[in-house]
Amino acid sequence: MNDIQISRRLFLQKTAAAARTSLIVLSLPTIMTSSAVASEAMQMASTTLTVLNADEALEFTAIAARIIPTDETPGATEAGVIYFIDHVLGTSRTEALVPMREGLMALQAQAQSTYGIAKFSSLQPEQQDALLTAIEDTAFFGTMRYMTIAGMFSLPEYGGNRNHAGWELIGFDHAHVWSPPFGFYDADYMAKGE
Amino acid sequence: MAQASYPTRELVDFVVIGSGAAGGIMAKELSTAGFSVVVLEQGPHLHPGDFTHDEWAVTQNEELVWGSRKGHPQTFRRYEHEKAELVQGAPLGYAHNVGGSTVHFSGNLWRLHPIDFMEASVRGTIAGTNFTDWPITYEELEPYYTKVDWEIGVSGLAGPWDPPRSRDYPLPPMPVKSAGVLLERAAKAMGYTAFPAPVAILSKPFNGRPACVHCGFCNGFGCEVAAKSSTAVTMIPQALLTGNCELRTGCTVSRINTDDAGRANEVVYWLEDGTEQAQLAKAVVLCANGAETPRLLFLSESAKFPDGLANSSGMVGKNLMFNGSTSAAGLFPEEINGHKSIATTRVIQDFYSIDPKHGFYGGGGIDSRSLSRGLPMAAAMRGGIFSGATWGSDFKRGLAREFTHTASFNGHTTSLPLSTNNVTLDPDVKDKWGRPALRTTFMNHPDDIATMKFFTDRSMEMLDAVGAIQKVGSYAENGQTGGVHLLGTCRMGNDPATSVVDKYNRSHDVPNLFMVDGGSLVTSGRGQPTMTIMALAFRAADNITQAARRNEI
Repeated sequence: MNDIQISRRLFLQKTAAAARTSLIVLSLPTIMTSSAVASEAMQMASTTLTVLNADEALEFTAIAARIIPTDETPGATEAGVIYFIDHVLGTSRTEALVPMREGLMALQAQAQSTYGIAKFSSLQPEQQDALLTAIEDTAFFGTMRYMTIAGMFSLPEYGGNRNHAGWELIGFDHAHVWSPPFGFYDADYMAKGE
Repeated sequence: MAQASYPTRELVDFVVIGSGAAGGIMAKELSTAGFSVVVLEQGPHLHPGDFTHDEWAVTQNEELVWGSRKGHPQTFRRYEHEKAELVQGAPLGYAHNVGGSTVHFSGNLWRLHPIDFMEASVRGTIAGTNFTDWPITYEELEPYYTKVDWEIGVSGLAGPWDPPRSRDYPLPPMPVKSAGVLLERAAKAMGYTAFPAPVAILSKPFNGRPACVHCGFCNGFGCEVAAKSSTAVTMIPQALLTGNCELRTGCTVSRINTDDAGRANEVVYWLEDGTEQAQLAKAVVLCANGAETPRLLFLSESAKFPDGLANSSGMVGKNLMFNGSTSAAGLFPEEINGHKSIATTRVIQDFYSIDPKHGFYGGGGIDSRSLSRGLPMAAAMRGGIFSGATWGSDFKRGLAREFTHTASFNGHTTSLPLSTNNVTLDPDVKDKWGRPALRTTFMNHPDDIATMKFFTDRSMEMLDAVGAIQKVGSYAENGQTGGVHLLGTCRMGNDPATSVVDKYNRSHDVPNLFMVDGGSLVTSGRGQPTMTIMALAFRAADNITQAARRNEI
């Protein structure tokens, strides 16, 4: 059996890094009224941008597409993750908007100096990956990863996870009622009368 | 009968602060006994129809568990000489709603064992800690454990693994999940005993509530069908039906006032709009949890109680314990589908007390769980645990397999009580009411960490024994930075010099003030405290009722 054990240290580093590098996690709290937050879920996100301009959306879409790429299955682009990101930057994560814009500008400056092209979305995927790998430990990348994943797997009402693209990717069926058996092993257990 | 309504400027028999595991029970028991009761709850009264599968709102936007986003910042530091840092989220995690954390908890309802109450005598004290016996025994608490089973609604299977019980479970165990089958098979292979997890979730209809529909959004979420036996759907409705109980939601208590004789006589609180109110009371029952209860006692300081109300012992806020927790995730060849049904269905307690020959104190249990509670977003954020990639195509392919094919064997373990682990008022950071924020000072005793390592190692062996393809274990090897079991901060004891409440949860210092919540626990138990908090509440209510009838409060 292929018993590859990833070291616990590496695993902990990865999870800690994911938390540490996210602007969302690190940003100082904005004390908000509870009603403002509670109402967010009620405001269904639309498919038009509310906060980001078209150029920014194109760039953030390109970054999200490297985090969850389109390959044999739909990725962040097809899931409409950008609409989730736009929605939350205008509602519950307004404090992240300026840092996100600044992070994008820094990335574009790096693209310009490295490849002579400022527009991240115009680069080749390999070039994009190289630039992102270089900023993996930054708050900007942490936030992009956080928002891309959140948009991929949240309720579609928030704008992302279109056609349940995220849920289908991981084999999550959304239902409010299930009955046993739930998986292979409990079915097997019942069949064998254990 | 309609819910009672009492004027704030007339005495009620009891004000109960908090409506969670303990507060809900106190409200029901005292109102059923005929006393006038006002319950003050800072959160809203949510009903099954209010609960959703909205992972973004519930887990990321603090819909149930408030933190700094909702105006309730907390600070954290390791040691008392350090300055505490503001942290996002909440090191001390608890819900703000009617039913408290029983609304979103996993429902694990382990009883303590007889040894938990007298472990210091049996095993010996531990230098540098406040490890001591409880002032009560398992036998004294057993009738109240059984009362919880039947009043709340607990599913389980009695057997040799159980501590002695006077009555069977009211409901059969929940159907086993794939992760539970794997834990059971691993246990068999290793010579351990796996048994059905006792849970406060209905396997069959009970007391007018339906059986669980296995929706999967359980741990961390409110139950859409009221099959989870939170006090919001069990105790609170009964309390309101007596006509003796008034539930006031959106009410944040600012202080408890005392009269010249040093007796509690008034509870001051804010409405959501900031209006101040004050309810007169003959007695006060403080059930605000192991974090908020000590904070409120500190905030209620006065000339007569300069170190905080009911704190002549100096033990208010001290001995904070979280229970250790460990996770060992295993990737399996076939589908597990941890996203369906409840958090856990099988438990082993073969290491309830680790053999002292290992050189450290500790013990606990291991149960079968899902990857990241079976939640898609949480699992993806943690994702890449087997592929090693945290973004990109390899990350994406890893997610596609690990969400449905992972089982986790999680350890739930002891914490030692230390004076240096505590809840205090932050000198700088304020909450939205202008009150000092909760400040946590916490670093595990080395034995806590050794215990977590021991449980991680056993869980990893069990994953091997049952054929995991890959496995990853983790625990807080550098110490925990928070928890949801908030224990020990108003400890129970016979000696007023070393404990805050007596064996019936009555303050040693203020005779008509009772503290009933996780803060009462003397030792941490083995990882699932809610059953004991509930049993202590039923027992305290019984004794408070008798004392009140004798005019002895």
